[in-house]
Amino acid sequence: MPKLTIDGREIEVEAGVTLIEAARRMGIKTPHFCWHPELSVAANCRMCLVEIEKNPKLQPACQIPAAEGMVVHTENPRVREARRAIMEYLLLNHPVDCPICDQSGECKLQDYYMLYDLKSSRLASEEDKVRKRKHVPFGPHVVYDAERCVMCTRCVRFCAEYVKDPMLCEVHRGDHSEIDVSPDRTLEHGYSLMTAHICPVGALTSRDFRFQCRVWFLKAAETICPGCATGCSACLDHNRGRAFRLRPRVNNAVNRCWLCDDGVLSYRFHNDHRLCSPSLGRGNPQPASWEDALSEAAAALGKTPKAERAAVLSAERTCEENWALIVFAREALGIERFFLAARPDGTADQRLRSADKNPNRAGVRLMLGAEPEPMTALLEAATAGRIRAVIALGAEASAAGVEPSTGLLRLGTVVSIAERTGTLPDAAHVRLPCGSWAQSAGTFVNAKGMAQEFGRAMPLGDGLLDVHEILARLARRLDLSFPYKTAAEVRTAVAGRLPEAGAAGGAP
Amino acid sequence: MPYVVKRPERDIWEQSYIPETVRGMGVTLRHFFRNVIGRRDTVTILYPEVQRPYPPRFRGLHRLTQRDDGSPRCTACMCCQTACPAECIHIVAGSYPDGHPLAFVEKYPAEFWIDELRCVFCGLCVEACPCDAIRMDTGLHARPVEARPHLMYERNLLLSITDAKGDVLTANPRKK
Repeated sequence: MPKLTIDGREIEVEAGVTLIEAARRMGIKTPHFCWHPELSVAANCRMCLVEIEKNPKLQPACQIPAAEGMVVHTENPRVREARRAIMEYLLLNHPVDCPICDQSGECKLQDYYMLYDLKSSRLASEEDKVRKRKHVPFGPHVVYDAERCVMCTRCVRFCAEYVKDPMLCEVHRGDHSEIDVSPDRTLEHGYSLMTAHICPVGALTSRDFRFQCRVWFLKAAETICPGCATGCSACLDHNRGRAFRLRPRVNNAVNRCWLCDDGVLSYRFHNDHRLCSPSLGRGNPQPASWEDALSEAAAALGKTPKAERAAVLSAERTCEENWALIVFAREALGIERFFLAARPDGTADQRLRSADKNPNRAGVRLMLGAEPEPMTALLEAATAGRIRAVIALGAEASAAGVEPSTGLLRLGTVVSIAERTGTLPDAAHVRLPCGSWAQSAGTFVNAKGMAQEFGRAMPLGDGLLDVHEILARLARRLDLSFPYKTAAEVRTAVAGRLPEAGAAGGAP
Repeated sequence: MPYVVKRPERDIWEQSYIPETVRGMGVTLRHFFRNVIGRRDTVTILYPEVQRPYPPRFRGLHRLTQRDDGSPRCTACMCCQTACPAECIHIVAGSYPDGHPLAFVEKYPAEFWIDELRCVFCGLCVEACPCDAIRMDTGLHARPVEARPHLMYERNLLLSITDAKGDVLTANPRKK
């Protein structure tokens, strides 16, 4: 184990660890463009040059492995001067179009300019700058600006090494070099937005996020991606009640530091097709007050005989919300039949994407302690008239080969607790709006059986209620007992039924 | 350190204030007769019929400057919105479609709202603008209106307001 000195402090690291990694462990941030912990070393940006004693030239910290007795300086005048010179080179032909650049505010060129350069350009005239292609669409999700590119080749290495589809390459030489897609290809492999995410400058930007919001207005909150059963850790960027994007959050047990395109775009589950107030009536819903909607729901559920009631659990919603519904249905309504509403299956791959597009199917099984019946069974029972009243959680319900609305429309009463429109709320008589996944706190159990708790990323909007609160109010109106008053109580009840948080439990 | 305060010593004639009152009345009467009979140099004016010229750096209502082709100079970078301490600016950015003559500019303000009632006329938006697209050189006051929404100025209205000389372009043209 080599022992070395960085900036006057000693550290011992395993053999093969590079200087930039060793410095990072000591809390020293070495500036870099091309280095990425999950990708191979390119050492082409020269921003991480450090001085190693007894070494005549500055060396790239991202490439040099730590060696016994090394004495490294990461911030002395010689290093700072080298970084200033690198910044001058990188910014020589830069268009400085920060006002229209989406990276502005989280751009490493801006950050390092402020830290190391702070000089105006020595180029005689703007007209001398090398002009290159701008806003070139690389694929359905990503747009490329060659003038802003610093040729760090992170995107090239990402496609080659992580996606194993080397479709991006460097073309031309010197000042004129830029990134291009292979002929007849488009940047479209399910992880293309990660190239924009790892781009340290504004060269690759997301077409979806383009011009939507300046990044300094965004507030970030930790969450779990609701897009599929993998349950990747993510940060949700939002502003004024609107979600703008998901960014991957490092979780080496699940997604390391990546997220698929569908995952980045799954912030839309918060924004689109939301139910904003309670409404009554099937087909032509009329807005109603919470009082009226809850009374109507309680009356409709109460008048149906116990044996003809059923509950629909949702694989889109958290364990806590499903557990609250299970307790409410069993103890208050005497329901014995539970069905599972879920989004339809989609594409899967060997990396992050699961075919099951629901974040919490495994969690619902754990909560119920048994396999819930599929939606097809509910539709058959409804068609046969054995079930007349349903209280349903979640919006989407697909049943392979069956048009759900026809069977659901036979039900005399459907009370839907959902955050947005979908099969179930559309067929409901009473719609009770709850918060989206971003507005709720809870636990998702992913396909590996890992329970991952997440907090409320955004405040619950006006006119919305938490699921346990809706159920408690319903129980009060029905004069029935519901044991939970707060989210913490539901959380405590659920905790014992979940595998150890974060650890992979046995798949249920 | 304690010390004795010297009290002013006034005699009874001074204490009566009569000479000072007479002298003050004299000043008043001098101005009165000078302005009524002699040359008139009153400092008050009959506002609003008579208005003083404002200094050239007076910060009035905002305007959005235009390029030579009439398009807004603003690129919706949101610097003014960020700088605004009153949070009275709201911008929604749009993207010029491919093939548009201004496609090279990429970004433009699809919506641009200024709530002139919230505005504190500090001029930070003008300072922040990197494109000289927003200026407060109109020389206009916020006029009295009947309803609050009438002072919610939107993009096209802001673009049509001119500077004090009647120009919609910027007074500070720079490179394109």
